[in-house]
Amino acid sequence: MIELHLTILAITALIGLIASYLAITEKDLLKAVGYSAVQAIAYAIAFYLLMAPDIVLAYVAIAVGIYSALLIFIIGKTERYEVM
Amino acid sequence: MKRLTGLLTILIITLGVAIYLAQNIIPPENLHPLGEYYLENSYFGEHSAKSPEVVTSILWDYRGVDTLFETAVFFLAIIGSLTIFRLNREQSEEAKQGEPKPQLPEPVVVVTKLTVAMILAVSASIALHGQLTPGGGFQGGSALAVAPLLVIAAYTKYALEKNGLDKTRAIIIRSIGLLGIALTALTPLLVSGYIMQNQPIFPGEALGVPLGGSLVLYNLFEYLAVGAGFTAVFLLLSIPEEKFKKFLGVRR
Repeated sequence: MIELHLTILAITALIGLIASYLAITEKDLLKAVGYSAVQAIAYAIAFYLLMAPDIVLAYVAIAVGIYSALLIFIIGKTERYEVM
Repeated sequence: MKRLTGLLTILIITLGVAIYLAQNIIPPENLHPLGEYYLENSYFGEHSAKSPEVVTSILWDYRGVDTLFETAVFFLAIIGSLTIFRLNREQSEEAKQGEPKPQLPEPVVVVTKLTVAMILAVSASIALHGQLTPGGGFQGGSALAVAPLLVIAAYTKYALEKNGLDKTRAIIIRSIGLLGIALTALTPLLVSGYIMQNQPIFPGEALGVPLGGSLVLYNLFEYLAVGAGFTAVFLLLSIPEEKFKKFLGVRR
């Protein structure tokens, strides 16, 4: 049973890692916000598996909702594409 | 293609380190003595917070002063953003002028209405059951802040303001929350307790529901303060950029 938990934990952590790498390297900033939200969802599942439901409740609302919205507001005030 | 090479390198290194570490880590066999103390005391013990939720008891009772300062940091962050976006009376009146029309297709708007109602209910239950189930004031408040955010996204910020939730009201609600937290923290001094004392000054339960003494009050006020604080910042951030450029005198 614990092996199943750890396997799901490893998979979510990997999805989070891949999503954060894509978010950092993405030049379209709106897509980068999307990747960052995917990373947040993966980490929320990881926190749930690590038995920290208090963190999950705050993390889902902040990292998926508020943080993405703040970044989208700020992208709306500048340019959509990152210039090299 | 170049991106994928970097990603593959990072993945291989991470997996290698993880597999190497996994063979060398021994999990701890016993609970930490401090953790054991909290688990035994939070509801039944001699130093009880009268709350079955250990995390909330630690947050607002055993380590309450930490959380009080954390709330102060959040207060300063919100005040800082309000100061950056400060407008005079005429400018804030002008910022409210606009058409409260939905910019998205009809089904999205209807679904948003339902979702906003559900988010309000869920956030209230997260915050007000904070002493019984996982959750608490900050978690509930940040969930509450998503509701005005959805309204801003599906309608406009003007819809929120026309229905009575403008920046001033949000700041007033937030101040009520912060004042409530401060008063709850200072109340024990009246009956010669110490700051942020919980038991036995506050009632432990009402109508058979454990209230956790002051925990339910702190959760309620933190819920209002966090939710309204975020809402005030969102209302300021959603002022269109053209209006800000006009206020600041930027010419293009």
